Amino acid sequence: MRVRLRSFAGAWNRFFFAKQSPVPIALFRITYGLLLIATLVLLRPDWLAWYGSHAWISLQTMQTVEPGTRINLFSIIPQSDGWINALFWVFLGSTILLTLGFLTRINSVIVFLCLTSIHQRNLFITHGGDTFLRLAGFFLMFAPAGAALSFDRLLRIWRGKMKRGTELGARPRPQRPWAQRMIQIQLCLLYFAAFCAKVKSPVWLNGTALYYVYHLDSLRRFPVPAWFLYPTMLKLESWSALALEFSLGVLLWVKDLRYILLALGLLFHLWLEYSLNIALFQWDVLSAYILFVDPADASRAWNWIKLRAAGSN
Amino acid sequence: MPRVNIVAINLFLAFHLIAIICWCVPLNLPLFPLCRRLVRPYFLWAGLFQTWDMFAPRPWGSNSYVEAVVIYKDGSRQTWSLPRMEQLSLTERYFKERYRKFSEVLQIEENDALWPDAARRIARLNSTPSKPAKTIILIRRWSPIILRPDGSYQPEPWDQHVLLGYGVKPEDLR
Repeated sequence: MRVRLRSFAGAWNRFFFAKQSPVPIALFRITYGLLLIATLVLLRPDWLAWYGSHAWISLQTMQTVEPGTRINLFSIIPQSDGWINALFWVFLGSTILLTLGFLTRINSVIVFLCLTSIHQRNLFITHGGDTFLRLAGFFLMFAPAGAALSFDRLLRIWRGKMKRGTELGARPRPQRPWAQRMIQIQLCLLYFAAFCAKVKSPVWLNGTALYYVYHLDSLRRFPVPAWFLYPTMLKLESWSALALEFSLGVLLWVKDLRYILLALGLLFHLWLEYSLNIALFQWDVLSAYILFVDPADASRAWNWIKLRAAGSN
Repeated sequence: MPRVNIVAINLFLAFHLIAIICWCVPLNLPLFPLCRRLVRPYFLWAGLFQTWDMFAPRPWGSNSYVEAVVIYKDGSRQTWSLPRMEQLSLTERYFKERYRKFSEVLQIEENDALWPDAARRIARLNSTPSKPAKTIILIRRWSPIILRPDGSYQPEPWDQHVLLGYGVKPEDLR
Protein backbone atom coordinates (compact mmCIF):
# COMPACT_ATOMS: atom_id res chain seq x y z
CA MET A 1 0.00 0.00 0.00
CA ARG A 2 2.81 2.36 0.98
CA VAL A 3 4.68 1.48 -2.21
CA ARG A 4 1.57 2.22 -4.28
CA LEU A 5 1.06 5.54 -2.56
CA ARG A 6 4.70 6.40 -3.12
CA SER A 7 4.51 5.53 -6.81
CA PHE A 8 1.28 7.57 -7.13
CA ALA A 9 2.97 10.53 -5.43
CA GLY A 10 5.95 10.12 -7.74
CA ALA A 11 3.75 10.04 -10.84
CA TRP A 12 1.74 13.04 -9.57
CA ASN A 13 4.95 15.01 -8.97
CA ARG A 14 6.39 14.15 -12.36
CA PHE A 15 3.13 15.05 -14.10
CA PHE A 16 2.55 18.39 -12.40
CA PHE A 17 6.01 19.50 -11.29
CA ALA A 18 8.73 18.03 -13.57
CA LYS A 19 10.13 21.16 -15.17
CA GLN A 20 9.67 21.65 -18.88
CA SER A 21 10.04 24.32 -21.52
CA PRO A 22 7.56 27.23 -21.09
CA VAL A 23 7.31 27.63 -24.89
CA PRO A 24 4.03 25.62 -25.23
CA ILE A 25 2.24 27.70 -22.57
CA ALA A 26 3.66 30.88 -24.14
CA LEU A 27 2.36 29.82 -27.56
CA PHE A 28 -0.99 29.04 -25.96
CA ARG A 29 -0.99 32.50 -24.34
CA ILE A 30 -0.52 34.12 -27.74
CA THR A 31 -3.21 32.01 -29.41
CA TYR A 32 -5.54 32.56 -26.46
CA GLY A 33 -5.00 36.31 -26.67
CA LEU A 34 -5.62 36.41 -30.42
CA LEU A 35 -8.84 34.44 -30.01
CA LEU A 36 -10.02 36.79 -27.29
CA ILE A 37 -9.21 39.79 -29.48
CA ALA A 38 -11.25 38.18 -32.27
CA THR A 39 -14.09 37.52 -29.82
CA LEU A 40 -14.08 41.15 -28.72
CA VAL A 41 -13.97 42.46 -32.28
CA LEU A 42 -16.98 40.29 -33.14
CA LEU A 43 -18.79 41.45 -30.01
CA ARG A 44 -18.04 45.14 -30.50
CA PRO A 45 -21.01 46.12 -32.73
CA ASP A 46 -23.47 44.64 -30.21
CA TRP A 47 -21.49 45.34 -27.04
CA LEU A 48 -24.13 47.67 -25.62
CA ALA A 49 -26.97 45.48 -26.89
CA TRP A 50 -25.65 42.64 -24.73
CA TYR A 51 -24.12 44.49 -21.80
CA GLY A 52 -25.32 48.10 -21.95
CA SER A 53 -27.77 49.96 -19.73
CA HIS A 54 -30.65 49.01 -22.09
CA ALA A 55 -29.39 45.55 -22.97
CA TRP A 56 -31.47 42.57 -24.05
CA ILE A 57 -31.29 41.31 -20.49
CA SER A 58 -30.93 43.82 -17.68
CA LEU A 59 -28.33 43.34 -14.97
CA GLN A 60 -31.16 43.08 -12.45
CA THR A 61 -32.92 40.29 -14.37
CA MET A 62 -29.63 38.45 -14.79
CA GLN A 63 -28.99 38.61 -11.07
CA THR A 64 -32.52 37.34 -10.41
CA VAL A 65 -32.38 34.36 -12.75
CA GLU A 66 -28.77 33.49 -11.90
CA PRO A 67 -28.42 34.42 -8.24
CA GLY A 68 -25.33 34.07 -6.08
CA THR A 69 -22.19 36.05 -5.37
CA ARG A 70 -20.12 36.14 -8.53
CA ILE A 71 -17.06 37.87 -9.94
CA ASN A 72 -18.77 40.50 -12.07
CA LEU A 73 -17.29 43.93 -12.71
CA PHE A 74 -20.66 45.05 -14.10
CA SER A 75 -22.13 44.95 -10.61
CA ILE A 76 -19.38 47.32 -9.40
CA ILE A 77 -19.16 49.90 -12.18
CA PRO A 78 -21.93 52.49 -12.73
CA GLN A 79 -24.56 51.24 -15.18
CA SER A 80 -23.98 53.89 -17.80
CA ASP A 81 -23.03 53.15 -21.38
CA GLY A 82 -19.87 55.25 -21.00
CA TRP A 83 -18.53 53.03 -18.22
CA ILE A 84 -19.60 49.88 -20.00
CA ASN A 85 -17.79 51.01 -23.15
CA ALA A 86 -14.73 51.84 -21.06
CA LEU A 87 -14.75 48.28 -19.77
CA PHE A 88 -14.59 47.07 -23.37
CA TRP A 89 -11.45 49.11 -24.06
CA VAL A 90 -9.78 48.04 -20.82
CA PHE A 91 -10.57 44.42 -21.70
CA LEU A 92 -9.24 44.79 -25.25
CA GLY A 93 -6.12 46.69 -24.16
CA SER A 94 -5.31 44.16 -21.48
CA THR A 95 -5.85 41.28 -23.91
CA ILE A 96 -3.43 42.85 -26.40
CA LEU A 97 -0.82 43.26 -23.66
CA LEU A 98 -1.35 39.66 -22.55
CA THR A 99 -0.88 38.47 -26.13
CA LEU A 100 2.37 40.41 -26.34
CA GLY A 101 3.45 39.09 -22.97
CA PHE A 102 3.82 42.49 -21.33
CA LEU A 103 3.08 42.51 -17.58
CA THR A 104 1.77 39.05 -18.31
CA ARG A 105 0.65 38.06 -14.82
CA ILE A 106 -1.27 41.27 -14.13
CA ASN A 107 -2.87 41.25 -17.55
CA SER A 108 -3.88 37.60 -17.26
CA VAL A 109 -5.75 38.53 -14.06
CA ILE A 110 -7.43 41.58 -15.67
CA VAL A 111 -8.40 39.53 -18.73
CA PHE A 112 -9.87 36.77 -16.57
CA LEU A 113 -11.86 39.30 -14.51
CA CYS A 114 -13.23 40.98 -17.63
CA LEU A 115 -14.00 37.71 -19.40
CA THR A 116 -15.77 36.22 -16.39
CA SER A 117 -17.67 39.48 -15.96
CA ILE A 118 -19.09 39.54 -19.49
CA HIS A 119 -20.13 35.90 -19.13
CA GLN A 120 -21.77 36.54 -15.76
CA ARG A 121 -23.45 39.65 -17.15
CA ASN A 122 -25.12 37.63 -19.90
CA LEU A 123 -24.83 33.88 -19.56
CA PHE A 124 -27.37 33.28 -22.30
CA ILE A 125 -25.17 34.14 -25.27
CA THR A 126 -22.05 32.14 -24.44
CA HIS A 127 -21.09 28.96 -26.27
CA GLY A 128 -18.75 26.16 -25.24
CA GLY A 129 -15.75 27.93 -26.73
CA ASP A 130 -16.34 30.95 -24.50
CA THR A 131 -16.62 28.69 -21.48
CA PHE A 132 -13.39 26.95 -22.39
CA LEU A 133 -11.57 30.28 -22.74
CA ARG A 134 -12.86 31.35 -19.33
CA LEU A 135 -11.69 28.14 -17.67
CA ALA A 136 -8.34 28.21 -19.44
CA GLY A 137 -8.02 31.86 -18.42
CA PHE A 138 -8.44 30.89 -14.78
CA PHE A 139 -5.46 28.52 -14.87
CA LEU A 140 -3.48 30.80 -17.17
CA MET A 141 -3.30 33.29 -14.29
CA PHE A 142 -1.14 30.79 -12.41
CA ALA A 143 1.00 29.70 -15.37
CA PRO A 144 4.46 31.00 -16.32
CA ALA A 145 2.89 32.31 -19.52
CA GLY A 146 5.32 35.19 -19.83
CA ALA A 147 8.46 33.10 -19.38
CA ALA A 148 8.98 32.77 -23.14
CA LEU A 149 8.05 34.62 -26.34
CA SER A 150 7.17 37.72 -24.36
CA PHE A 151 8.11 41.34 -23.79
CA ASP A 152 8.50 40.47 -20.12
CA ARG A 153 11.36 38.13 -20.98
CA LEU A 154 13.00 40.69 -23.24
CA LEU A 155 12.72 43.31 -20.50
CA ARG A 156 14.30 40.97 -17.97
CA ILE A 157 17.18 40.42 -20.35
CA TRP A 158 17.59 44.14 -21.05
CA ARG A 159 17.57 44.90 -17.35
CA GLY A 160 20.36 42.38 -16.88
CA LYS A 161 18.38 40.02 -14.72
CA MET A 162 19.25 37.24 -17.13
CA LYS A 163 22.68 36.72 -18.56
CA ARG A 164 23.14 36.20 -22.24
CA GLY A 165 24.15 32.67 -22.98
CA THR A 166 22.21 31.29 -20.05
CA GLU A 167 18.85 32.63 -21.09
CA LEU A 168 18.60 34.55 -24.31
CA GLY A 169 21.17 32.64 -26.28
CA ALA A 170 19.87 29.35 -25.05
CA ARG A 171 16.32 28.30 -24.31
CA PRO A 172 14.06 29.88 -21.69
CA ARG A 173 14.45 28.43 -18.22
CA PRO A 174 12.28 25.30 -17.68
CA GLN A 175 9.22 25.85 -15.50
CA ARG A 176 6.81 23.72 -13.47
CA PRO A 177 3.85 23.00 -15.76
CA TRP A 178 1.09 22.40 -13.18
CA ALA A 179 -1.16 25.18 -14.46
CA GLN A 180 -0.62 24.05 -18.05
CA ARG A 181 -1.57 20.51 -17.01
CA MET A 182 -4.85 21.80 -15.58
CA ILE A 183 -5.72 23.44 -18.91
CA GLN A 184 -4.88 20.18 -20.67
CA ILE A 185 -7.07 18.23 -18.23
CA GLN A 186 -9.85 20.76 -18.76
CA LEU A 187 -9.70 20.14 -22.52
CA CYS A 188 -9.92 16.38 -22.02
CA LEU A 189 -12.83 16.79 -19.62
CA LEU A 190 -14.64 18.88 -22.22
CA TYR A 191 -14.51 15.95 -24.66
CA PHE A 192 -15.22 13.28 -22.06
CA ALA A 193 -18.20 15.14 -20.57
CA ALA A 194 -19.59 15.76 -24.07
CA PHE A 195 -19.22 12.04 -24.80
CA CYS A 196 -21.00 11.08 -21.54
CA ALA A 197 -23.85 13.52 -22.23
CA LYS A 198 -24.37 12.16 -25.75
CA VAL A 199 -23.95 8.46 -25.11
CA LYS A 200 -27.07 8.39 -22.92
CA SER A 201 -29.26 9.52 -25.81
CA PRO A 202 -30.95 7.11 -28.29
CA VAL A 203 -30.41 9.47 -31.24
CA TRP A 204 -26.66 9.32 -30.78
CA LEU A 205 -26.64 5.58 -30.19
CA ASN A 206 -28.82 4.80 -33.22
CA GLY A 207 -26.73 7.15 -35.32
CA THR A 208 -29.40 9.65 -36.39
CA ALA A 209 -28.29 12.64 -34.29
CA LEU A 210 -26.37 14.35 -37.06
CA TYR A 211 -29.42 14.26 -39.35
CA TYR A 212 -31.00 16.86 -37.07
CA VAL A 213 -27.78 18.88 -36.74
CA TYR A 214 -27.28 19.12 -40.52
CA HIS A 215 -30.87 20.28 -41.03
CA LEU A 216 -30.81 23.11 -38.52
CA ASP A 217 -30.99 26.18 -40.77
CA SER A 218 -29.50 28.53 -38.20
CA LEU A 219 -26.38 26.38 -37.81
CA ARG A 220 -25.61 25.74 -41.46
CA ARG A 221 -22.51 27.42 -42.86
CA PHE A 222 -21.34 25.78 -46.10
CA PRO A 223 -23.22 23.04 -47.98
CA VAL A 224 -22.58 19.48 -46.85
CA PRO A 225 -22.15 16.92 -49.71
CA ALA A 226 -25.37 14.95 -50.29
CA TRP A 227 -23.67 11.58 -49.66
CA PHE A 228 -22.84 12.78 -46.14
CA LEU A 229 -26.56 12.65 -45.40
CA TYR A 230 -27.16 9.03 -46.46
CA PRO A 231 -28.46 7.05 -43.46
CA THR A 232 -25.41 4.76 -43.38
CA MET A 233 -23.03 7.70 -43.53
CA LEU A 234 -24.96 9.53 -40.79
CA LYS A 235 -24.62 6.48 -38.54
CA LEU A 236 -20.91 6.28 -39.26
CA GLU A 237 -20.43 10.01 -38.60
CA SER A 238 -22.45 10.00 -35.35
CA TRP A 239 -20.56 7.00 -33.97
CA SER A 240 -17.21 8.39 -35.14
CA ALA A 241 -17.96 11.64 -33.30
CA LEU A 242 -18.69 9.66 -30.13
CA ALA A 243 -15.56 7.52 -30.51
CA LEU A 244 -13.41 10.57 -31.14
CA GLU A 245 -14.81 12.51 -28.19
CA PHE A 246 -14.14 9.54 -25.93
CA SER A 247 -10.61 9.10 -27.32
CA LEU A 248 -9.74 12.79 -27.01
CA GLY A 249 -11.08 12.74 -23.48
CA VAL A 250 -9.25 9.68 -22.26
CA LEU A 251 -6.58 8.43 -24.67
CA LEU A 252 -4.89 11.76 -25.38
CA TRP A 253 -2.59 11.04 -22.46
CA VAL A 254 -1.24 7.91 -24.18
CA LYS A 255 1.94 9.19 -25.78
CA ASP A 256 1.90 6.79 -28.75
CA LEU A 257 -1.64 7.81 -29.70
CA ARG A 258 -1.36 11.52 -28.98
CA TYR A 259 -0.39 12.93 -32.38
CA ILE A 260 -2.78 10.65 -34.27
CA LEU A 261 -5.63 11.78 -32.02
CA LEU A 262 -4.62 15.43 -32.27
CA ALA A 263 -4.61 15.13 -36.07
CA LEU A 264 -8.04 13.47 -36.04
CA GLY A 265 -9.32 16.10 -33.60
CA LEU A 266 -8.01 18.84 -35.88
CA LEU A 267 -9.80 17.34 -38.90
CA PHE A 268 -12.98 16.92 -36.81
CA HIS A 269 -13.00 20.57 -35.75
CA LEU A 270 -12.12 21.82 -39.23
CA TRP A 271 -15.07 19.86 -40.58
CA LEU A 272 -17.33 21.40 -37.93
CA GLU A 273 -15.94 24.84 -38.76
CA TYR A 274 -16.81 24.27 -42.41
CA SER A 275 -20.28 22.89 -41.84
CA LEU A 276 -21.56 24.66 -38.72
CA ASN A 277 -21.95 28.29 -37.79
CA ILE A 278 -20.72 28.50 -34.19
CA ALA A 279 -18.43 31.53 -34.46
CA LEU A 280 -15.03 30.78 -32.86
CA PHE A 281 -15.89 27.61 -30.96
CA GLN A 282 -13.64 25.29 -32.98
CA TRP A 283 -10.62 27.59 -32.76
CA ASP A 284 -11.14 28.16 -29.03
CA VAL A 285 -10.91 24.43 -28.44
CA LEU A 286 -8.12 23.81 -30.95
CA SER A 287 -5.96 26.46 -29.27
CA ALA A 288 -5.29 24.10 -26.37
CA TYR A 289 -3.93 21.39 -28.69
CA ILE A 290 -0.66 23.36 -28.63
CA LEU A 291 -0.21 22.32 -25.01
CA PHE A 292 -0.08 18.65 -25.99
CA VAL A 293 2.83 19.09 -28.37
CA ASP A 294 6.09 18.00 -26.77
CA PRO A 295 8.54 20.94 -26.89
CA ALA A 296 11.28 18.60 -28.14
CA ASP A 297 9.06 17.44 -31.03
CA ALA A 298 8.12 21.06 -31.81
CA SER A 299 11.81 21.94 -31.84
CA ARG A 300 12.60 19.04 -34.20
CA ALA A 301 9.72 20.08 -36.47
CA TRP A 302 10.96 23.70 -36.46
CA ASN A 303 14.49 22.61 -37.36
CA TRP A 304 13.11 20.45 -40.16
CA ILE A 305 11.13 23.38 -41.54
CA LYS A 306 14.22 25.63 -41.34
CA LEU A 307 16.32 23.03 -43.14
CA ARG A 308 13.69 22.62 -45.86
CA ALA A 309 13.43 26.39 -46.24
CA ALA A 310 17.21 26.69 -46.46
CA GLY A 311 17.29 23.82 -48.98
CA SER A 312 14.69 25.44 -51.21
CA ASN A 313 16.73 28.68 -51.24
CA MET B 1 10.35 26.44 -4.08
CA PRO B 2 9.49 26.48 -0.34
CA ARG B 3 7.76 23.34 0.94
CA VAL B 4 4.74 25.33 2.09
CA ASN B 5 4.20 26.55 -1.49
CA ILE B 6 4.39 23.01 -2.85
CA VAL B 7 1.84 21.83 -0.30
CA ALA B 8 -0.48 24.74 -1.13
CA ILE B 9 -0.24 24.09 -4.86
CA ASN B 10 -0.90 20.38 -4.35
CA LEU B 11 -4.00 21.14 -2.30
CA PHE B 12 -5.15 23.62 -4.95
CA LEU B 13 -4.64 21.05 -7.71
CA ALA B 14 -6.31 18.17 -5.87
CA PHE B 15 -9.31 20.30 -4.94
CA HIS B 16 -9.83 21.71 -8.42
CA LEU B 17 -9.28 18.38 -10.11
CA ILE B 18 -11.88 16.58 -8.00
CA ALA B 19 -14.32 19.50 -8.02
CA ILE B 20 -14.19 20.04 -11.80
CA ILE B 21 -14.59 16.32 -12.54
CA CYS B 22 -17.58 16.05 -10.19
CA TRP B 23 -19.11 19.21 -11.64
CA CYS B 24 -18.82 18.60 -15.35
CA VAL B 25 -18.90 14.85 -15.92
CA PRO B 26 -22.61 14.02 -16.22
CA LEU B 27 -22.46 10.72 -14.33
CA ASN B 28 -24.53 10.08 -11.25
CA LEU B 29 -21.79 8.33 -9.33
CA PRO B 30 -21.95 8.31 -5.52
CA LEU B 31 -20.64 11.55 -3.99
CA PHE B 32 -20.86 13.48 -7.29
CA PRO B 33 -24.13 15.28 -6.35
CA LEU B 34 -22.80 16.07 -2.86
CA CYS B 35 -19.53 17.39 -4.29
CA ARG B 36 -21.45 19.56 -6.79
CA ARG B 37 -23.53 21.05 -3.98
CA LEU B 38 -20.46 21.78 -1.88
CA VAL B 39 -18.42 23.47 -4.59
CA ARG B 40 -21.36 25.31 -6.20
CA PRO B 41 -20.93 28.65 -4.39
CA TYR B 42 -17.21 28.74 -5.19
CA PHE B 43 -17.70 27.66 -8.81
CA LEU B 44 -20.41 30.26 -9.40
CA TRP B 45 -18.24 32.96 -7.83
CA ALA B 46 -15.05 32.07 -9.67
CA GLY B 47 -16.66 31.30 -13.02
CA LEU B 48 -15.56 27.67 -13.00
CA PHE B 49 -19.07 26.33 -13.70
CA GLN B 50 -19.30 24.45 -16.98
CA THR B 51 -21.52 22.13 -19.00
CA TRP B 52 -20.48 20.36 -22.17
CA ASP B 53 -23.81 19.38 -23.65
CA MET B 54 -23.83 20.79 -27.16
CA PHE B 55 -26.19 18.65 -29.26
CA ALA B 56 -26.70 16.52 -26.15
CA PRO B 57 -28.57 14.61 -25.03
CA ARG B 58 -30.07 15.27 -28.47
CA PRO B 59 -29.85 18.09 -31.02
CA TRP B 60 -32.77 20.49 -31.47
CA GLY B 61 -35.55 18.71 -33.33
CA SER B 62 -36.91 21.74 -35.15
CA ASN B 63 -35.95 24.86 -37.03
CA SER B 64 -37.21 27.80 -35.06
CA TYR B 65 -36.88 31.50 -34.43
CA VAL B 66 -38.38 34.28 -32.35
CA GLU B 67 -40.28 37.15 -33.90
CA ALA B 68 -42.29 39.98 -32.46
CA VAL B 69 -45.43 41.71 -33.59
CA VAL B 70 -45.10 45.40 -32.71
CA ILE B 71 -48.43 47.18 -32.30
CA TYR B 72 -48.18 50.97 -32.29
CA LYS B 73 -50.28 53.54 -30.48
CA ASP B 74 -51.77 54.64 -33.82
CA GLY B 75 -53.07 51.09 -34.41
CA SER B 76 -50.56 50.12 -37.10
CA ARG B 77 -48.41 47.03 -36.67
CA GLN B 78 -45.25 45.46 -38.02
CA THR B 79 -43.42 42.17 -37.62
CA TRP B 80 -39.86 42.23 -36.38
CA SER B 81 -37.50 39.30 -35.94
CA LEU B 82 -34.24 38.66 -34.13
CA PRO B 83 -31.40 38.28 -36.66
CA ARG B 84 -31.79 34.89 -38.34
CA MET B 85 -28.51 33.26 -39.33
CA GLU B 86 -29.92 31.67 -42.50
CA GLN B 87 -30.79 35.15 -43.81
CA LEU B 88 -27.37 36.71 -43.14
CA SER B 89 -24.17 36.76 -45.16
CA LEU B 90 -21.18 34.69 -44.05
CA THR B 91 -19.49 37.69 -42.42
CA GLU B 92 -22.66 38.88 -40.73
CA ARG B 93 -23.16 35.42 -39.26
CA TYR B 94 -19.79 35.66 -37.48
CA PHE B 95 -20.83 38.95 -35.90
CA LYS B 96 -24.44 38.03 -35.13
CA GLU B 97 -23.99 34.42 -34.06
CA ARG B 98 -24.80 35.33 -30.45
CA TYR B 99 -28.36 36.07 -31.56
CA ARG B 100 -28.74 32.41 -32.59
CA LYS B 101 -27.86 31.34 -29.08
CA PHE B 102 -30.02 34.04 -27.52
CA SER B 103 -32.98 33.09 -29.70
CA GLU B 104 -32.63 29.44 -28.63
CA VAL B 105 -32.61 30.49 -24.98
CA LEU B 106 -35.64 32.79 -25.38
CA GLN B 107 -37.71 29.93 -26.79
CA ILE B 108 -37.37 27.79 -23.66
CA GLU B 109 -40.38 28.17 -21.35
CA GLU B 110 -38.19 28.03 -18.23
CA ASN B 111 -36.56 31.26 -19.35
CA ASP B 112 -39.81 33.23 -19.26
CA ALA B 113 -38.22 35.71 -16.85
CA LEU B 114 -36.19 37.02 -19.81
CA TRP B 115 -39.20 37.78 -22.02
CA PRO B 116 -40.23 41.16 -20.54
CA ASP B 117 -36.66 42.50 -20.92
CA ALA B 118 -36.55 41.28 -24.52
CA ALA B 119 -39.96 42.84 -25.22
CA ARG B 120 -38.81 46.17 -23.75
CA ARG B 121 -35.73 46.20 -25.98
CA ILE B 122 -37.80 45.36 -29.06
CA ALA B 123 -40.15 48.22 -28.14
CA ARG B 124 -37.21 50.64 -27.91
CA LEU B 125 -35.71 49.42 -31.20
CA ASN B 126 -39.01 49.88 -33.02
CA SER B 127 -40.27 53.13 -31.53
CA THR B 128 -39.82 56.76 -32.46
CA PRO B 129 -41.10 59.73 -30.41
CA SER B 130 -43.83 60.26 -33.01
CA LYS B 131 -44.68 56.55 -33.31
CA PRO B 132 -44.29 54.77 -29.98
CA ALA B 133 -44.93 51.05 -29.60
CA LYS B 134 -47.93 50.14 -27.46
CA THR B 135 -47.83 46.35 -27.34
CA ILE B 136 -45.19 43.73 -28.12
CA ILE B 137 -46.22 40.15 -28.84
CA LEU B 138 -43.33 37.71 -28.68
CA ILE B 139 -43.89 34.67 -30.86
CA ARG B 140 -41.95 31.44 -31.27
CA ARG B 141 -42.18 29.98 -34.78
CA TRP B 142 -40.99 26.48 -35.54
CA SER B 143 -40.95 23.77 -38.16
CA PRO B 144 -40.18 20.23 -36.97
CA ILE B 145 -37.34 18.24 -38.52
CA ILE B 146 -38.75 14.81 -39.29
CA LEU B 147 -36.39 11.94 -39.96
CA ARG B 148 -37.40 9.89 -43.00
CA PRO B 149 -36.23 6.29 -43.52
CA ASP B 150 -34.36 7.13 -46.74
CA GLY B 151 -32.58 10.05 -45.09
CA SER B 152 -34.25 12.67 -47.30
CA TYR B 153 -35.43 15.97 -45.88
CA GLN B 154 -38.75 17.64 -46.49
CA PRO B 155 -39.36 21.02 -44.81
CA GLU B 156 -42.48 20.85 -42.65
CA PRO B 157 -45.09 23.63 -42.30
CA TRP B 158 -44.38 26.33 -39.74
CA ASP B 159 -46.28 26.45 -36.47
CA GLN B 160 -46.33 29.25 -33.92
CA HIS B 161 -46.81 29.85 -30.24
CA VAL B 162 -47.23 33.16 -28.41
CA LEU B 163 -44.62 33.51 -25.68
CA LEU B 164 -45.66 36.88 -24.26
CA GLY B 165 -47.92 39.84 -24.78
CA TYR B 166 -46.30 42.92 -23.25
CA GLY B 167 -47.91 46.29 -22.70
CA VAL B 168 -45.23 48.93 -23.25
CA LYS B 169 -44.95 51.53 -20.47
CA PRO B 170 -43.76 55.10 -21.18
CA GLU B 171 -40.66 54.55 -19.00
CA ASP B 172 -39.66 51.55 -21.16
CA LEU B 173 -38.99 53.92 -24.05
CA ARG B 174 -36.85 56.41 -22.15
